[in-house]
Amino acid sequence: MSAKNLSDYLIAFFIIICLNFLLPRTMPGDPLAAIYGEEALLSLTPELKRDLAAQFGLDKPFFEQFLFYLLSLLKGNLGYSYHYEVPVSELLLRAAPWTMLLIGSALIVSTVLGYVLGLESGWQRGNSADKGLLTGLMFLSGFPDFFVGIILLLLFGVSLGLFPISGALTPYMGLTGWSLIKDVLWHLLLPLTSLVIAEVSAIFLLVRSTAVTVLGEPFILTAKAKGIRKRHIKFRHVGKNSLLPLFTRTGIRVGHMITGALFVEIVFAYPGIGLLIYNSVMARDYPVLQGVFFLVAVAVIVCNLAVDLLYRTIDPRVR
Amino acid sequence: MHINYVNTIKKNSLGITGILLLFFMSLLAFIAPVLAQYSPVEPSTQTLAFPSASHWLGTNDIGQDIFSRLIYGARTSLLIAAGAGSLTAFIGAFLGISAALAGGICEKIIMRAADILLIIPNMVVIILVAAYLRPGIAALILVIAVFGWQGNARVIRSQALSLKERAHVAAAKAFGAGNLYILFKHIIPDLFPLITTSFIYHARRAVFMEAGLAFLGISDPAVISWGTMLNRALDFSYLNNWYWLIPPGAALSITIVSFTFLGYALEETIDLRLGDKNA
Repeated sequence: MSAKNLSDYLIAFFIIICLNFLLPRTMPGDPLAAIYGEEALLSLTPELKRDLAAQFGLDKPFFEQFLFYLLSLLKGNLGYSYHYEVPVSELLLRAAPWTMLLIGSALIVSTVLGYVLGLESGWQRGNSADKGLLTGLMFLSGFPDFFVGIILLLLFGVSLGLFPISGALTPYMGLTGWSLIKDVLWHLLLPLTSLVIAEVSAIFLLVRSTAVTVLGEPFILTAKAKGIRKRHIKFRHVGKNSLLPLFTRTGIRVGHMITGALFVEIVFAYPGIGLLIYNSVMARDYPVLQGVFFLVAVAVIVCNLAVDLLYRTIDPRVR
Repeated sequence: MHINYVNTIKKNSLGITGILLLFFMSLLAFIAPVLAQYSPVEPSTQTLAFPSASHWLGTNDIGQDIFSRLIYGARTSLLIAAGAGSLTAFIGAFLGISAALAGGICEKIIMRAADILLIIPNMVVIILVAAYLRPGIAALILVIAVFGWQGNARVIRSQALSLKERAHVAAAKAFGAGNLYILFKHIIPDLFPLITTSFIYHARRAVFMEAGLAFLGISDPAVISWGTMLNRALDFSYLNNWYWLIPPGAALSITIVSFTFLGYALEETIDLRLGDKNA
């Protein structure tokens, strides 16, 4: 990892912090209104307002305010939710596991599915199976994730009543052990399916186009000339080499997945980060919005960085 | 790379499907005032009506005609697609070409900015900015473009760099052609297919983003949007209101699919694999 690359990440991180600091302060009117929302401000007494302004350092000059903000971030203080009346970090800790479960499982399922289909399609390029898969998946990729979710919700949740239409757990059941796992998976299935349907075509297209490129390489011809079995060429030669771009795109895909999960969670009222964003938008609970933004942006940046670092180990050609 | 678009796309069935679908949506948007029996914004006392002869797709919770809102929504989507698509493509092309031709510190700054923007998850940034600023159509186009040009600029720059070294450009220079002449006569026309592809790609992305933001409830409430319709309808999903949920979603999907097919067909004919598609 070169110093230039690393500094890109640091600058990106710095921009995120600046955006988070500046956006509430660029809004016209009282900055407290931007932090707490107009409705909340009406119910505050002048003394409370003064105290809060002092607490946020709003009575200090601009630069000192920024230092103040940085210091509180360092302490892990992401602010206080007026709407829920708990610290933002607590809300994030409550919501994050559900989103991680959803994104993690969707990442695994869509990668495996997209890889298998993409390799098969690339291997049989040009025939009817390939064309059918290509057109079908490209068509599916046009469906926004929240609309896929809505269709599944209407069909399997509302009409057929096969799956729960909201939540991540059956409440007040006090389930434990195996029945708890079954309940969680049962609630997860529809959101997961929506996310996989929305994401799988990108992976499919990527693997397919890499496979087609690899198939044209001289070493494939050599392998064929040596009389190596087709199965072996398909999986060992083409398959293995098609893995690399899949891996390098992980950072971008995690970013996609997070926004995708955000929309899908809203459709199924799944209690993760996405629903938290939605509820805080509706309640104009700006501290929560800022905290979520900070967490998600940092998560994506760290993912990108990790991929960047690992890439050099996996593919020695890049140095 | 001078390509006859019409001829190459005509041979591509996906491309034709894309064009037809896009044409259909544009037509709907264009003749919306003729087609709509009711105002798309005027509420009425007839609320939550099931589809009937008078209201083809029923009415929503405040008695607005869903069909009218659907076809007027096409205007918003396509306007944003055209606006954000062309602005993003323009900024990307302008910065990419400038970087390639100017070189030096200017190139360094532009490419550095692009690299940094590629790291930042732009949909998340756009959500945050929109939540604070509640942008109307013009502001939304601007926000989408400002956070969208980076991948595009990198591809255009690398192409422009290689074009700069080609024989025909060197020949033009030898004949005494000025920099501006070379730019407009050789570089830009040769980059045009690439710029068109990026326009379509970003138009598609803009449609998705506008609907997504509206679905999240962070857009100008005065704008008639498919995303807003889906957001409202979802609150009533227990009524099994498919006639309210499916049409805006389907219209949205058709629009996005038309851009996907068109873009894929173009890319196939140009046969240039675009590098970073960050969305």
